[in-house]
Amino acid sequence: MLTFQPALRGARRIAASAVLAAVASCGGGDGGSTDSTRYVDANHYSMAAGASLATPNETTSVTHRALTLGGTAIAYTATAGHLTALDASQAAEASIFYVAYTADGAAAAARPVTFFFNGGPGSATIWLHLGSFAPRRLVTGVPATTQALPFPYVDNVDSLIDTSDLVFVDAVGTGLSEAIAPHTNQTYWGVDADAGVLRDFVQRWLAVNGRTASPLFLFGESYGTTRVPVLTRLLETAGRRVNGVVELSSILDYNSNCSVASGAPTVSCAGFLPSYAAVGSYYDLASAATGNLDADLATVRSYADATYDPDAIAWLGNHALLPDSHIAALVAFTGLPAAVWDAQFDMDFDTFRHHLIANTTLGVYDGRVSAPVGSALDAQDEPSNTFAEPGFEAAIRTVLPNDLGFTTPSTYVLSSDAIDTWDFSHGGRALPDVVPDLGAALSLDPSLKILFLGGEHDLITPFHQTELDIARLGSAAPVALHFHPGGHMTYLDDGSRPLMKAELVAFYASASGAR
Amino acid sequence: MRTVLIVSTIVSLLAAATVARATPHLDPGKPPASAQQAAQAETRTRRASVGATLDSDAERHLRASFEAADTAHHGTLSREEAQAGGFGWIANHFDAIDTQHMGRVSFDDVKRYLNLHRSGASTK
Repeated sequence: MLTFQPALRGARRIAASAVLAAVASCGGGDGGSTDSTRYVDANHYSMAAGASLATPNETTSVTHRALTLGGTAIAYTATAGHLTALDASQAAEASIFYVAYTADGAAAAARPVTFFFNGGPGSATIWLHLGSFAPRRLVTGVPATTQALPFPYVDNVDSLIDTSDLVFVDAVGTGLSEAIAPHTNQTYWGVDADAGVLRDFVQRWLAVNGRTASPLFLFGESYGTTRVPVLTRLLETAGRRVNGVVELSSILDYNSNCSVASGAPTVSCAGFLPSYAAVGSYYDLASAATGNLDADLATVRSYADATYDPDAIAWLGNHALLPDSHIAALVAFTGLPAAVWDAQFDMDFDTFRHHLIANTTLGVYDGRVSAPVGSALDAQDEPSNTFAEPGFEAAIRTVLPNDLGFTTPSTYVLSSDAIDTWDFSHGGRALPDVVPDLGAALSLDPSLKILFLGGEHDLITPFHQTELDIARLGSAAPVALHFHPGGHMTYLDDGSRPLMKAELVAFYASASGAR
Repeated sequence: MRTVLIVSTIVSLLAAATVARATPHLDPGKPPASAQQAAQAETRTRRASVGATLDSDAERHLRASFEAADTAHHGTLSREEAQAGGFGWIANHFDAIDTQHMGRVSFDDVKRYLNLHRSGASTK
């Protein structure tokens, strides 16, 4: 575990024990509870750009279960269905699909509620829902790729349900969420429009469920970490305080990530170097590795900032060979051959992951996952996704009807074409930089707290780039960062998920209290 | 020696590029080409903002929300206009912002209040 900021102040325990006591006294559900309500939603939801729903339907399925954490049974209710986001004049904008897990019998004012968003843009919130901190999760065994399908769907002893109610939200044009006529899905396919409609959804969900007094948390992953800062600013502007923001595997500034654009990088890849070192070390290719990954990454981070960054900027200007000693240091840190550094000194993730090991492709999302070129796992040039996605896709098709009681003739869409026509412009720039959104939210609400989590082997949103981006807010900003072994979906790592859970509990305790 | 290695590596890089496989939508994925081109034109002249420049970028968002709420273009908002226009934060802090008890606040009034209440969490 790496912590680069002082621990959050005031580790105040929320009334978790009181919540648990109240829950236990209700008598737990067992999945076969008699008041569960299954629901068949006859609507046909489309995730196409021009699609537009004529008749929204807010009827939900309701199921009851219990999860035992630390010897205490927590009875909870799972609610799946749609809720309409309304604009300021109460006109319908979009029918948003969500699955909410709420502990039974908790006092609303003391009980946090957390809204989760995956990214893309165009990705449904299936990864966070089925893989992370919900009361049940899929077993993947990553970075191994040996877990057979179907992935087991098990009680999640690392669930956050002991700390917060959990609402997993699909953005418009993903999952089963569709714009309502006269709007189309395309209406909400932009940085600002997307955050605006999700603000309206969050506000309405809180109002409809009697939760306007609850501590509010927002949890984003990947593009979700671009979405959530904008959403946070919009909620704070609207007068709705946000207690805490959790950013997992972050892209805060599309202009600073050297690999998110097509073609060779045009900005320094210094933010990626420590992740390359972590991956090289994982394969025992980094001769500079000492066996202490945290210490090694601290060394590489310093080298990245002090030496590699100015070298990379110079190389981008003139493509001149760098001194042999600089190339040798990079080879020792990462294991990537000198000739590859000579050819592409400002190292993008695609060059790195295709050349670290001969005839082998490494995952973008998790560099620890590898596949021989031409193998089945390499079929999509992204072995970590090729391994995990079929298991998640198969699971959502059974979990929704069988476990959550929600049936629809529509297809739950994991990944739509939203990104092809997404309006990335934001704050006067062609590509979003959401650090100013966090700054604006903090100026409106100085008690807002922000937690960054991520995987040291994630090659698409590298942890050091997050450190560099958020450092712009200044050292006094109420920000904590924790990075662990793992990939982009860091929670899939069975060693790192419990560590993240503990960090989340401490974060919620520091951020949930009265102001 | 290194020249030879470079040539052979470039060949191998090109070879890798020709192995066309159907890459899935990545997350975060690559923005549309037009947005990438516009961003590249910008980044030649702009760097990531810090300090006062970042404060100014943050303020731009708040000013845009203020102007969106000010549908009558008065340059000021009443408590009710702020609430109805989506700037509920101003309505919630109205009396503290409206130090002159005018019943209307300007964006400069909002900035003055924010500066008075900056904490260590500020972007300075």
